[in-house]
Amino acid sequence: MKKLIALALAVVMVLGLSATAFADGDVVLPREETLYFCGQQWGAVNSWNPIGTNQNNSMAIAAGAGWRELMFETLYMWNVLDGKLYGLLANDDYAWNDDMTQLTFTIKDAAKWSDGSDVTAADVIRTFDVGVEIGNGTGSGYGPYIESIEGEGKTVKINAKLNDAGQPINPLMILNFLELVAIAQADWIDTVYEANGGDATAILNDDGLNDAGELEVPYTGPYTMYFSDDQKVVLVRDDNYWGQDASMWGKLPVPKYIAHAMYADNAAGEVALKAGEVDVSQQFIGNVQNLWLEDGLPISTYYEEAPYGVCLTMPTAWYNMNIPVIAENPALRKAIAMAVDYDSIIANAMTNQSPSFADVPRSLMNPTEGEQALYDHDAVADLQWAGNDIDGANALLDEAGLVDTDGDGIREYNGENISLNAVCPNGWTDWQASMEQVAAAGKEIGVEITTLYPEADMYNTVFTDPDQTEYAIFMWSPDASSPSNPWSRVNQFMGMDYLGVTNNWSGNWGQYENAEADALIKQIPLTTDEAELRDLYTQLTEIYLTEVPSFSLMYRPSVFHAVNESVWTNFPYEGQTYTMGDGTEVLVPPADCTDGFGVAALYNLELVG
Amino acid sequence: MKNTLRQVFHSPKFVGGFVIFLAILLTMFIYPLFNPGNPLQQIGVGTFAKPGTYVSLYDATKAKTETFRLPEAAENRLAASLTDEDRVAMIEYFNAMEIDISDLDMDDTDALLQMWEENYDPSVRPKGMTGARVNYFKRLNNSLQDLKSGDTLIIAEEGEDGELVESKKITTTDYVNTNAVANVKTLPLGTDNFGRDVLKELVSATGTSIMIGLLAGTVATIIGLSFGLLAGYLGGFVDDFIMFITNIFTVIPGFVLLILISYSIGQEQRGAAVVATVIGLTGWTWTARSVRSQVISLRNRDHVNLSKLSGHSLLRIILTDILPYIASYVVMAFILQVSSGILAEAQLSLLGLGPRTTEVPTLGLMMNWAMLYSAHTNGSWWAYFPVILVITLISFSLNLMNTGLDQVFNPTLRD
Repeated sequence: MKKLIALALAVVMVLGLSATAFADGDVVLPREETLYFCGQQWGAVNSWNPIGTNQNNSMAIAAGAGWRELMFETLYMWNVLDGKLYGLLANDDYAWNDDMTQLTFTIKDAAKWSDGSDVTAADVIRTFDVGVEIGNGTGSGYGPYIESIEGEGKTVKINAKLNDAGQPINPLMILNFLELVAIAQADWIDTVYEANGGDATAILNDDGLNDAGELEVPYTGPYTMYFSDDQKVVLVRDDNYWGQDASMWGKLPVPKYIAHAMYADNAAGEVALKAGEVDVSQQFIGNVQNLWLEDGLPISTYYEEAPYGVCLTMPTAWYNMNIPVIAENPALRKAIAMAVDYDSIIANAMTNQSPSFADVPRSLMNPTEGEQALYDHDAVADLQWAGNDIDGANALLDEAGLVDTDGDGIREYNGENISLNAVCPNGWTDWQASMEQVAAAGKEIGVEITTLYPEADMYNTVFTDPDQTEYAIFMWSPDASSPSNPWSRVNQFMGMDYLGVTNNWSGNWGQYENAEADALIKQIPLTTDEAELRDLYTQLTEIYLTEVPSFSLMYRPSVFHAVNESVWTNFPYEGQTYTMGDGTEVLVPPADCTDGFGVAALYNLELVG
Repeated sequence: MKNTLRQVFHSPKFVGGFVIFLAILLTMFIYPLFNPGNPLQQIGVGTFAKPGTYVSLYDATKAKTETFRLPEAAENRLAASLTDEDRVAMIEYFNAMEIDISDLDMDDTDALLQMWEENYDPSVRPKGMTGARVNYFKRLNNSLQDLKSGDTLIIAEEGEDGELVESKKITTTDYVNTNAVANVKTLPLGTDNFGRDVLKELVSATGTSIMIGLLAGTVATIIGLSFGLLAGYLGGFVDDFIMFITNIFTVIPGFVLLILISYSIGQEQRGAAVVATVIGLTGWTWTARSVRSQVISLRNRDHVNLSKLSGHSLLRIILTDILPYIASYVVMAFILQVSSGILAEAQLSLLGLGPRTTEVPTLGLMMNWAMLYSAHTNGSWWAYFPVILVITLISFSLNLMNTGLDQVFNPTLRD
């Protein structure tokens, strides 16, 4: 009898266990039809609402090297390699009127929503208008530059906001609108608007799903939501995608599923990439070359040799101008920047996945050829520094009267030891290593610099506060690449628009004030003459390198791109092109196979063997 | 006293632990004499240089050479550029390019190289070949180019007018004595993620960690001992009150408390001494409890009562009539506290809550940075394994000493 009971219990347990295993809802995807990602999504997706703000949906509603075009599409796609806009929902026909106050373009006839209806001018207009009304990213980002959008049927006209002189405030930002704003369907916006009674907060927080957890939002992209929990998020191809029309791609993207598992940290993602469980990694991998040189794995990056990726931005150390000793001593700012050993940072923190400051001298520009051509290298050569110049830094400080009078090895200002901290979020190892180098430089030149690594939440709250005095030197990256760059980046470095802005995620995090620079920055968007533009950028570079309101520590890609070719191949590599419908060959950027024109990679993919 | 020490040093376990610990201590003091300098100095630009001896290439080309005709030299050189795996890969390439290789012998190096020379085309991307493979063939081709570059390397220097002037020829039979090279650096444990000498850092970190352990142990033992003595001897309300506090600290997991305190102190204030004190402040409870129970069994002994009757002060009774009887126990408890203090620092640092970096190396910080730089996934064992080994050895030796002492002092365990 006892045995019987034991047996029965065992059976019940086994059944129970297997039941939970099934109840887990674990989706099994065919490996040969699925492209796996890592390094984008770190937690359960909380929203599929393209006009919301409360979201972390990194695979569907986000931007890296351009907008992530998988599910919600933009009017144009940005190509970081050639700096051109390529039509997606819109035709390649955008044009300014003579005084750049109005931009006109047409939407592709084939462009359709997932519910089969046409994409029209009304959708673009409604997306912008509702953004301004409820104050989402589109509204706050483009409201200051766009007066209104009008149009009928497939024709759209964007009217620029004008300044007092009757000129457009910033035509460059209108081009950004074309490639960075995903268009939402007008009818759906109306539905959401009514369902939430027009309450802005409720609309921003709407998750785009119905009560049963099914997707309610219409989309235009080739993929849609398939599965999402706290373990993984999966998108599935929509085989009715309008883009298979000959006027766009002429075919469907190759992988049927796009999957992203939530990894605990970078190390876990890296292990998965090595094991071939991940195909495309958007993570920084230290000494990435060892994966193929030493481990012999079928892993590759865009370039075969260092820097392996396309560097588009430069993580920067910002000086906090709220702290008097920093604000009153340009010599101190420059001396610290001169003393830092950038070669070590690049070799160490970036494991040489960045050009050095000897190769690409510091300026306001990223290392791409296009931007480098925008300033006069000879004019500012005397102002640039490659780092590790301890003698020069010491001389500069001595000359400025910042000397050590009490013999404790630390220089004083107004009778007090100069003591600063160097701050970045905890766990961001490459930045932490950089801050260690800044602290080490301080030691060499008699300035006390201690490192501080608060948790990211805490860090974000403090550094976006325009009045903070807690962080003296702190890190953040300026803009990478978009039609409005390098202007946007220069504006972030020295523009006065961001002074005193609370919750400032936009720029000038050190709150640097310089009216002369600001006036020059304001001229750039309206300047079309190339020589004049070059002159403006050169002047700004001079001011930046003399005043040193911040200093860049390395160059860096905006998205990382390392691929494992165990299952899929023909990922973007140097020189690889996509053949457009009209036969032109366009370079495919290493943009994680998802961002801007980088999404073309999904149409080039092939299975191995 | 002499007798006790004699007894203690007859315990093989204690002696074993003591010798290990002494060896670690001696290394700590002697090694810096041979390899002086700042242990945090970044000598390497780049991360995780492998253990080994590094010879300055620049100086080596300037050093006096000897000529050796070693029979296996050519073979070794070939094997370094062209492995058996590479040969198989070359055949794979010929197949992918649809080249007839029916009369090619794979082991015939000259024929294989010639075939490669004739057929390899870096601009072609064979259909179906992965990017990683294409890159591999490019690298292989480069290494084969070196192979056929002949037996002589020419070192040239830049002349005044920018022209290259030949300064030296190096042939395959030239050898240099490593003693003749001006700069040779041996890194027995390679470098870490910051390019620091791991062995030098490890020795220095061991010292810091032992100091942290000692300080933490001292703080914990002093608090635990005082509370235990007072509670046990006085009894009554004082006992109840102290035990109430002790129980509260016992119920809250010590490590959680440690994490919370370290976090709230903030990184700027967290020096090694502060971390050690915090560890001590959270680790005293079980010392207090066991000292108390021992004191309770002592307080009604005749000699204590005699002291009381003689009108001796509380302090004097505790110090002269009670403390000596539990001294051996306290020493053992102290040793364990030191050991757990070192471990606690390592655990805290691993979570990123250890002492602030760039000032002193500690064992925990070394592990923390090794982990942050994924040393465990990229195969850089030298950055973390020796650290684990040292922590284990310290902990092991201290525990061994403790067990040895226990066997000497605890009558029930005596042989």
